[in-house]
Amino acid sequence: MLRLIFQRFGSACFTLVFIAVVVFGAVELMPGNACTAYLGRDAKGAKLENCEARLGLNRPAVERFGEWAGNVLSGDLGTSVHRNKPITELVGWRLRNTIVLSAVAILFGVPLAIFLGVLAGLNRDRPLDLFLSSTSILAMTIPEFVSATLLILVFSISLGWASGVVIVGYRAPVLDLVMNSVLPAVTLALVLTAHILRMVRASVIEVLESDYVLMARLKGIPFRRIVWRHVLPNSLLPAISIIGLTMAWLLGGVVIVESVYNYPGLGRMAVDAVSDRDIPLVQAIALLICSIYILTNLATDLLALLLNPRLRTFRT
Amino acid sequence: MSKSGVIGSGFGIVLACALLTAAWSQPAQAEKVLRMAHDLSMGGKESLDPLSPVRFWEVNDLLYNRLVRLNEKGEIEPELAASWTPNDSATEWTIKLQEGVRFHDGSPLGASDVKYSLERINDPALESPVTSVLGMIDHVEVIDALTAKIVLSAKHAGLPILLSDYRVRIIPDGSGATIEQTGIGSGPFKLEEYDPEGRTILVANPDYWEGAPKLDRIEYLAISDADARAQALLAGQIDFSRVAQEQGPLFAGNPKFVLSEFPSGGWFGIVFRTDVAPFTDPRVRKAVRIAANREEMVKLLAGEGHAIVTCDNPVKASDPYRADLDCPQDTELAKSLLAEAGFADGIDIDLHTSNLETGMVRFAEVYQQQVAKAGIRVKLVIAPGDGYWDDVWMKETVVVTSWDERPADQILNEAYRSGSSWNESYFSSPEFDALLDKARASLDFAEAKQAMVEAQRMLFETGGTFIPYQQNVQFAYDKSLTGITPVIEDQIRWDLVDKAEE
Repeated sequence: MLRLIFQRFGSACFTLVFIAVVVFGAVELMPGNACTAYLGRDAKGAKLENCEARLGLNRPAVERFGEWAGNVLSGDLGTSVHRNKPITELVGWRLRNTIVLSAVAILFGVPLAIFLGVLAGLNRDRPLDLFLSSTSILAMTIPEFVSATLLILVFSISLGWASGVVIVGYRAPVLDLVMNSVLPAVTLALVLTAHILRMVRASVIEVLESDYVLMARLKGIPFRRIVWRHVLPNSLLPAISIIGLTMAWLLGGVVIVESVYNYPGLGRMAVDAVSDRDIPLVQAIALLICSIYILTNLATDLLALLLNPRLRTFRT
Repeated sequence: MSKSGVIGSGFGIVLACALLTAAWSQPAQAEKVLRMAHDLSMGGKESLDPLSPVRFWEVNDLLYNRLVRLNEKGEIEPELAASWTPNDSATEWTIKLQEGVRFHDGSPLGASDVKYSLERINDPALESPVTSVLGMIDHVEVIDALTAKIVLSAKHAGLPILLSDYRVRIIPDGSGATIEQTGIGSGPFKLEEYDPEGRTILVANPDYWEGAPKLDRIEYLAISDADARAQALLAGQIDFSRVAQEQGPLFAGNPKFVLSEFPSGGWFGIVFRTDVAPFTDPRVRKAVRIAANREEMVKLLAGEGHAIVTCDNPVKASDPYRADLDCPQDTELAKSLLAEAGFADGIDIDLHTSNLETGMVRFAEVYQQQVAKAGIRVKLVIAPGDGYWDDVWMKETVVVTSWDERPADQILNEAYRSGSSWNESYFSSPEFDALLDKARASLDFAEAKQAMVEAQRMLFETGGTFIPYQQNVQFAYDKSLTGITPVIEDQIRWDLVDKAEE
């Protein structure tokens, strides 16, 4: 058991190092460097030299990578070229805001998805199931920027119930953020709910058809008891890993959702940094999002391991 | 509870949340508040120092005054300067200031403030982009409390136009170190809250020297995405925004909004380097420019009526110095010019473009199709947006370029004068430079215009830059607003803008 945990940790660390190399290397391979990207038409003469000296770009790439990686490990993500501030300071608030948004979407979406998924699974091929399944396919296939725009159009512009775009600053208190992020959270929750719902439904159906459920039925155990004792515990276990994956997906989804709704989170900052050609900031955000992705996956793996004895193949 | 009942109550919760938010975000206000959005283009570093490379220009327009400004017709009119008089050679300009102007901290405006604000432009520590416009200011002398003399290092009859630049604002003497935080100017609005990444709040300056503004407050929100700005405007979260061409239809038929459109000086162009063969030959340069159909380009790229055809002339249509030229597509002339230059079989061109700005690639594609008939075989090379200005522009022989609006004197000198650092076509003509010098030296408008017009005609005959049209600008705003004139933002008189009771 311990060995397995260590193994998972090891591979997570390896992936992180690999990603750091890729993120750094990709920038090295691009034409120009952080300074020419930032200065654009002004990348000439003294301005360029000043900028390159400030960022230490005149040193060999390997040396710079070592320094960058070392700083990242000690919690210093470097300095933004365009914003001229420590990246840790810039990213900190945004990370909090993105977590708040994701948390709202998850707290709202996951229970709903499990509930509806079980409902659809138990009512397989009946009208309710058909309705839920087809709606969720629709929700999964509509891109976020379309559903976001539709939600704004209906709930904000036509009905005037919710605020359209988020107009609070990045340092706003959590409560203000939550009150302003109904539509972005719903947009995220739509896709999230759809994915998890379908997974839960499939696994409920699978468990319902399994031998032990059949046995329980033959024994005459009431259906309600079968659902609570056998179906739910066994079908929700695989759902944990899909929930983990979906949460990690959320980090990609927020990029679009945050831009459309002007939500002051990490995703919008990433888009802004790309359009300002603020390469150190882009690197830092890419690394951060990858790390969160990996850590979420690791956490769900370990959780699944903890809850499901069958996965613990290495016994100590 | 039945199953459908549970689902229904789920929707009910969403609905309740939505209603709650609506109630939360609409405080009752009796005062007249104008809410606008800025695009956060400086990434949160937006500075209240008007000369800073990362100036917060939207807000600076409201906090500070200039010496002179352009009116709706594009003519110079007094702002802080009551009058401006050049000496005979246009090397010294005497500025008389308005009386009774006070800064937001109560101190009176004087000639020393003008001296300080203008001499700061050339302070190397500021790295101000304005240096390229007003670098010829040598020093400023204080004559008396309200009179200052600007001494130039070269003749310049067009100085007042350059002084109307949106960045040349007058700040209190010696306030350079604190101005980016305090925002103390003499403008119609005063700073209340400064938060470029959130909400910046300005309140009316009741003692404004041109009369108290009609609005009580202006709020500037940071919304970086153009679509999000349009959504915010549609949803009533802001009252005014510049909108992109393709967003126009969202507002055009909507009775709640006014959509106003007017010409600007922004353009895409194709640069043929005049120092590289075959474009060293003016006949080839002319052929590749007149082979295109500009009217059709407007229809295909900008949309009919959303741009103004221009004959390779970078000066905008409403500029008093603009030359009126005519440039229909002439495939036959293009062919014969090419034949004369020794390219009877046509020529091959590698046209470099990029997805750096929306429409830059489409622009090149339309050109490619149009000139094919004249035997000009264009091969498109799509370069990466990163490093485009560094590795492609001013390096490759034929590239797509993009410019924002500038006054005639500025654009002609910046992009075409021999040896200028952004002379992208490497155009070098002593005759052309002499015309620009003549325009700068002549204090008579007609004479200066004559020289400018000749210079523009020269560009059409022999230049290396193809400019088919200039794009229009669109504003969309709530119909309750009045006083928004069809001029770019820094020329709008925000103190006269009013909001009717709904």
